[in-house]
Amino acid sequence: MGLVCRVAEERGIATVCVSTGRDLTEQVKPPRSVFVNHPMGNNFGPADDPEMQLRIMRDAFQLIETATSGGVLVDLPYTWPTGFEYFSGKRRA
Amino acid sequence: MEPIKYVDALNEHYGSMGFPPYKWTVNDVAPLHRPNKPLNESTVSILVSGGISQCTMPGFDPEARNDHRVDAIDNDVSSADFQIHDAYYDHSDAERDINCVFPIDRLREMAAAGEIDAVAPRLWSGFMGRIYNRTRVLEETGPAFVEKLNEDGVDILLAVPA
Repeated sequence: MGLVCRVAEERGIATVCVSTGRDLTEQVKPPRSVFVNHPMGNNFGPADDPEMQLRIMRDAFQLIETATSGGVLVDLPYTWPTGFEYFSGKRRA
Repeated sequence: MEPIKYVDALNEHYGSMGFPPYKWTVNDVAPLHRPNKPLNESTVSILVSGGISQCTMPGFDPEARNDHRVDAIDNDVSSADFQIHDAYYDHSDAERDINCVFPIDRLREMAAAGEIDAVAPRLWSGFMGRIYNRTRVLEETGPAFVEKLNEDGVDILLAVPA
């Protein structure tokens, strides 16, 4: 995904990546990323929480306008209400 | 809590399944295209990589490797018309509300409210995880995808890895 963003950016399209894997994103270095410390697949928050979904989208779009150098990674302040682990095939209870 | 160390976890997980060590992409610099218009004049599309397909389409292979499939999704589809096949993340919330990973309703609301100019005619799902032949992304499937964005007049791509 980060690679696709890099290809897009080189061809004149602004991108922003909403990442839940901070170390993965740091390595690939997409042009712009926000990191959300949520489980993978909950990039925009829990189900049925449109306000949170919108907030994270607005934060991401804001970075389109403010970033001045490629590879910027911004940590968003949102937290997940419970602990979570690397997903190895089991669903959350 | 501290962010999960996915690189370590994935190395361990894939190693235990007998895969050779994954050669991670590590970049030191990144390109940047600064848009020449404000958000409220921009056309926006989304690309999500979480094995998400419309119910009328075949499901993605949940264990896919090197799958460069990218589905075009019309911008007016119902957010209830999706299925998810991906063995590498917990998509129980996303099955209930696709907007947690593919926020199409929210993007349409932002367009209706004038926060963005328009939702692009096509939204996208593909480039699932575990693509080992990354040169192909950089030289072939990535550029072909971007060409479609350009056909649609996309200014901004919201990218959602899952």
